[in-house]
Order: sequence, then structure tokens, then C-alpha cells
Amino acid sequence: MISLFNIRKVYNAGKTSEVVAVNGIDLDIEGNSVTVLSGPSGSGKTTLLSIIGCMSRPTEGRIILSGMEITSLSERFMTEKRRMTFGIIFQGANLIKGISVLENVLLPAYPCGERYGYIKGRAMQLLDEMDISDKANANVEWLSGGEAQRVTIARAMINNPSILIADEPTAHLDSRLSYKFMDIIEGIKKKGKTILIASHDPIVYDCSTVDRVVNLRDGRLNTQG
Amino acid sequence: MLIRNWLQKNRYIVEFTLSSLLRRKGKNLALIVSYTFTIFLLSSVMLFTHAIKEEALTVLDNAPQMVIQKMIAGRHELIPVAYIERLRQIPGVSAVKGRLWGYFYDPATGSNFTLIAPDDFRYSDGEIVIGQGISRSRSVYKNDIMSLRTYSGSVMDFKIAASLSSDSELVSADLMLVSTGDFRRFFGIPDSFVTDIAIEAYNPRELNIVANKVTSIFPDTRPILRGDILRTYEAIFNWRGGVVVIVLTGTFFAFIIFAWDKATGLSADDRREIGVLKAVGWDTSDVLLMKFWEGAIISLTSYMVGVVFAYAHVFFLSSSLFEPFLKGWSVLYPRFRLMPALNANLLATLFFLTVLPYTVATILPSWRAATTDPDTVMR
Repeated sequence: MISLFNIRKVYNAGKTSEVVAVNGIDLDIEGNSVTVLSGPSGSGKTTLLSIIGCMSRPTEGRIILSGMEITSLSERFMTEKRRMTFGIIFQGANLIKGISVLENVLLPAYPCGERYGYIKGRAMQLLDEMDISDKANANVEWLSGGEAQRVTIARAMINNPSILIADEPTAHLDSRLSYKFMDIIEGIKKKGKTILIASHDPIVYDCSTVDRVVNLRDGRLNTQG
Repeated sequence: MLIRNWLQKNRYIVEFTLSSLLRRKGKNLALIVSYTFTIFLLSSVMLFTHAIKEEALTVLDNAPQMVIQKMIAGRHELIPVAYIERLRQIPGVSAVKGRLWGYFYDPATGSNFTLIAPDDFRYSDGEIVIGQGISRSRSVYKNDIMSLRTYSGSVMDFKIAASLSSDSELVSADLMLVSTGDFRRFFGIPDSFVTDIAIEAYNPRELNIVANKVTSIFPDTRPILRGDILRTYEAIFNWRGGVVVIVLTGTFFAFIIFAWDKATGLSADDRREIGVLKAVGWDTSDVLLMKFWEGAIISLTSYMVGVVFAYAHVFFLSSSLFEPFLKGWSVLYPRFRLMPALNANLLATLFFLTVLPYTVATILPSWRAATTDPDTVMR
């Protein structure tokens, strides 16, 4: 489903502060699977996720997504691809404060211009699946860490993406909530989605739902298992 | 289908913008209040200057096309009535009329009154018609007797026959109308002289030619065209308006610095929000559209409220904030309501001076933030 060829990402190229975050990664990710990118801090997990998720471009290399090369897409098509193909769960919840849970979930759907009744119905269904529909009209400031995490999952799923990307999703959760998160991931996988998680949390990469763990170190692949 | 989606998308963005503004109620309200106040001050000055020029234009509509004054040593002197007949003979002149008018300093109120002896004065000798300003300052009303000291020091009593309506108070506040005979007796002007001579021409375009002929026949005279008076009025009120604007410059600068800081300095929260929106699939153009609406809503609201308040201030409250400065330094302030006067040029000038710079200042920093990769929000 996703193929990476010699992906390299250099920040501040040519300057004294130059950092090679990802250094020549080749990787194939199967559809309808759960892949975990693991590795210590600074190993390039988040950078690789952002490149795969069309949030930044690699300095070198190619990405083929469902048979289509996306590295050379224009900004507009990259955005379109990000909106329709990927659902993204950030390390922090990154919800927009001051608006309701429902409005936060609807944000990715606004640029599509679908009827309000339709997108609201879908958002409510997702919130129901996340067991948080009773908080739909509450402001996000009032949510606990676990609730906020489930709202971001609902937000990531609102456009029915085929790939879900999560960056350190359990970093701010206790063990109970981390296990619950992995239960949700299992449910999403059963719907045929492809899931890519960056994490160095054993609860995540030791989970039975995970099909593959890719270990990164210093921007390179360490082990493929 | 596509158009429907596009419209729906724009509706969502506008709604999200409104909720964004409401989220920062305090900050945005403070901005709108100071923005509105600045626009209110600027609009008040511009509306007042424009309206008073219009008022002067309306008043001068009834003024003669040309006035001839006799000059001696650079000063205005009485002009002989004999000049009138010679002036009538100039080709193109349709009417010539001698006028009697002058100023009277009233020590009781410390102000100057304007005395005029109109041709169509319909009251008898010993009667006077006065402006509202004089009536107020001397506390005299219809049927009262008003005593004035003549040129020779003797006292002349006038019975107040009427007072002039407040509609025309801009020009009539300090006005006194008397009969020709009373005027001549009051100032000691012989029958063979008038104050100046009013001339009308068949073709107003030939006024300059007529004026040249007048000065060649009577080199000791000075023709004053209505257009010249209008230009003088404009210069005076433009100058006064300009002085007020300069006085208010401090306020404008304070606002500009405040607005610039608010509009250009995106906070960490603003940047994070833009990053989140882009990461969840908003296009750069969607973010810019949102920021455009944000700037437009604030500046348009301030513009409309500021202009409406300024309109009410100028036309219903007689510009009470800076009335003495703009109307003049006369002791007898005229109390009058300006005729409401608005024009598209004035509104457009205000719009381009206020709304446009702010909206652009809002979009530019957002554009910088919106064109960066959204992955920054993941760190």
C-alpha cells in the first residue's frame, strides 16, 4: 500500500545547524495492517510519519501510495491527499480550545463542503463509537486526557481515511487508557484501515494487534520484524 | 454539486471564523472598540468638513456671481453709486445692484454683529430683524427694544420685528437686518455711496471677462467671484480639518501600533491552530480565507459602527466634540444642524484608509504561517 524508496530528510541543509533526521529509508507497508515505528527519541519516527502523511516533503527519495507517486504532487494535491487518505493523531491532543468537541471533530470535514446534516451524523456516530457522544457539545477544555485522545481519533476518522497515522498516541495516557487506545486501534483495523503508529511505548508495540514493528535509530532502519 | 460544496465550505469557514473571534472575545472587543473610536474621530472630521463645505456651497448659491469692491491703499472702502450705471453698460452684464452691509462691535457681548440693509426688507424704519445668536447673547426677543450705539456715539433704538429662523443659523446667527435709511443713519453713510456692488452676468462662463473689463474701467476696484469665495471656504475648512487630524495623530498612531501588533504578531496559539488546521486537511487558501474573514469582520464592523456614530455625532449632535475648533472662533457660536451629506468618495476614502490596511496586515503574517509545512505542529 505504501512504499518508501531511499527517503532522506535534512533540516537546515547547508547550515551549521544541519540535521539529517531520516537517512535513506526503504520500507513497504501492507494495507489493512498495524505497523509501529519504534526507536528512541530523535531516531526519526515523527519525521518519517510526517513525510508519509503528506505533511512535509522528503529532501530525497520517493513515496508510492496505492500505486501513485505522491512526492512530486503540488501543495494543493498534497493537502487533498492528506485530507482524504490520512487521519492524523498527534502526540498532544492538539484540539482547538474554545470550541466544542463536535466542532473539533468536524474541522477536517469543512473543506470538503458536504452537507452539515451528513457530516454531523457521521461525527456523532464516531463519537458514539469512542463512547464520548454525551460530551459532543462540551468545550474541549473540560475533557480528561483519555477523552481528548478519543476526540482526536474521531477527528482523524471523520473523512473516512484509509490510513490512520498516530504519533506517540499514548505518551500522555496512563496504562489503562493506553490499553483502551489499542482496543480502539484493533476496532479500526477490523474496518480494513491501515494504521501506522510511532511509539516507544511497550504497551503499543507489544500489543497483539500490531502486525509489524519497525525499529529506527539515527534516522535509519535498525530492524524489520 | 461542486458549486454547492464550495458555497457550503465557505459557509463553514465563515462560521468557524466567527466562533474563533468569539473565543477571544476580550481581545477582539478591545480591538474593535479602539478601532471604532479611531474611525469615529477620523470620520467625524471628514464628515464635518465635507458637510460644512456643502453648507457653504448651498449658502453661496444665493450669493451674487460677482461683487465689486472699491479699494484704497489695499483696504475696502465705500464705492460711489455712480459706478453702478457705468457697470450696467458692460456687455454681458444682466444686473447690477448696490449693497449695504457692515459690522458692528457690541461691547455688551464682546462680539461682532453683521448688519445688512436688504432691498426687500419688509419692515419699516426703526424695526430690526435679528439672528438667533444675537437674540441669545443679548436676551432680546420679538417686540423688545434693542439699543445700539451709532457711529457718532448717539443711541438708536430698534424694535425687534422678527428673528431669523434657526435653519439658516450658520450664516444668520450674528445677522441684523435693518432698512436702508436706518443703515445709512447708523453708520453715517451718504446716499451717494454703497458698501459694494453685486453683478450678475448672462453667461457665468464670461465672468472673468466681465471682471477684467471692470478693473480696466475702474482700476480702483476689486472684483470677487463666487468661485473665489468657495475656494477660500474650502481652503479654510480643509485647513481646519487638517489641523484636527494632526491633533488626533497621536491617537491614530497609538491605534496603528496596537492594530499592527495584534494583526502581525501571531501568537504561539495562533500558529499552533494554523498548523492543526493544515495538518487535518485545510488548504493554505482555506486558512487565508479564514484570516481574511477575521480581519474583514473586525475592520468592517469597526468601520460601519464608527461611521454611523460619526454621522450621528456630526448631524444630530452638531459635532459637539470639536465644534468650536472646526466651526471657527466667533464668540457667537451658531447653533445649527448640518444638512446630512454623505458621498461615495468620502466613504470610499475612509474605507481605503481604514479597512484595507488592517485586512492586509492580518493576512500577511497568516500567509507566512500557513505556507509552512504542517508537520511543525507534530513537534
